[in-house]
Amino acid sequence: MEKIAMILRKPPYGDINAAEAVRHALGAVSGDIAVSLILVDGGVHLARKGQDDTGTGFTNLEATLKDCNEMGVEVFADNLSLIEYGVKEGERVEGVKAANESEIAAIIKSCDTTMIF
Amino acid sequence: MGKTMTLYLSTSPYSYENTLTTVRVADAALNKGHTVNLIASADGVYCFLKGQKAKGITNAEQEFSRLIQKGLKVYL
Amino acid sequence: MLVIIRSAPDTPEGKRGVKLARAMSADIVLLQNGVYFIEGQALEDLGFAGPAYVLEDDKRLRGLTADGMNIKSISYDSLVDFMAESDKVIGMF
Repeated sequence: MEKIAMILRKPPYGDINAAEAVRHALGAVSGDIAVSLILVDGGVHLARKGQDDTGTGFTNLEATLKDCNEMGVEVFADNLSLIEYGVKEGERVEGVKAANESEIAAIIKSCDTTMIF
Repeated sequence: MGKTMTLYLSTSPYSYENTLTTVRVADAALNKGHTVNLIASADGVYCFLKGQKAKGITNAEQEFSRLIQKGLKVYL
Repeated sequence: MLVIIRSAPDTPEGKRGVKLARAMSADIVLLQNGVYFIEGQALEDLGFAGPAYVLEDDKRLRGLTADGMNIKSISYDSLVDFMAESDKVIGMF
């Protein structure tokens, strides 16, 4: 099975990158591609629980991230970024795995393709 | 007495949160009786194209059309 | 004077906005990704100690619940009032 790594570096909502990352992750996993979604830098804010889109008209990206997980996308978050950006363990969406630098490097190495958002 | 506010929008409709911010600020200002000008420049002009089909994000055509009816003055 | 900051604390734009507000003794309104400045002491770390406000809707959208130190949550209505009352509005950074 083909494997793809999708790296998200930007926080959700301020620009389209987070929405695009989860959209393409869902698309790829539906097309029988194994997807590792890797949250680094400001991208770790996507893993934050309690996102409330009321009145904004935006797609709730916390819900979409959960969909990704249920569809089989593996979601990782860079440990140092989680600490630096203050996304604590109890505040994270279930199923997001904290990973260190070398674990992330190994995941990217094992994938055929890498997309950066 | 209402004031005049001029907003400047230069980003494309669906790549940034600026569309939502501009819509909500203009809406609130119009509700308070202010005069609101919006200057759309560079990629901001794409917010005013007809036939936009965006869902799950602020639909620029729909929202700005509503605000124009409410009194928003747009300059491209 | 009012400086509006929409960029995250880890961006040059966000930092520049805070430093400018500090230099001008302006108030700050945080919105979009700028709302992440309420976490930790991001504003204090850049030497800003003046009045700061955060847009409630943008904070809630991102799942942020904590109130920043001395940072009051405001609505779009209040933001418009601040803009109308200010002699100068600068931004968005």
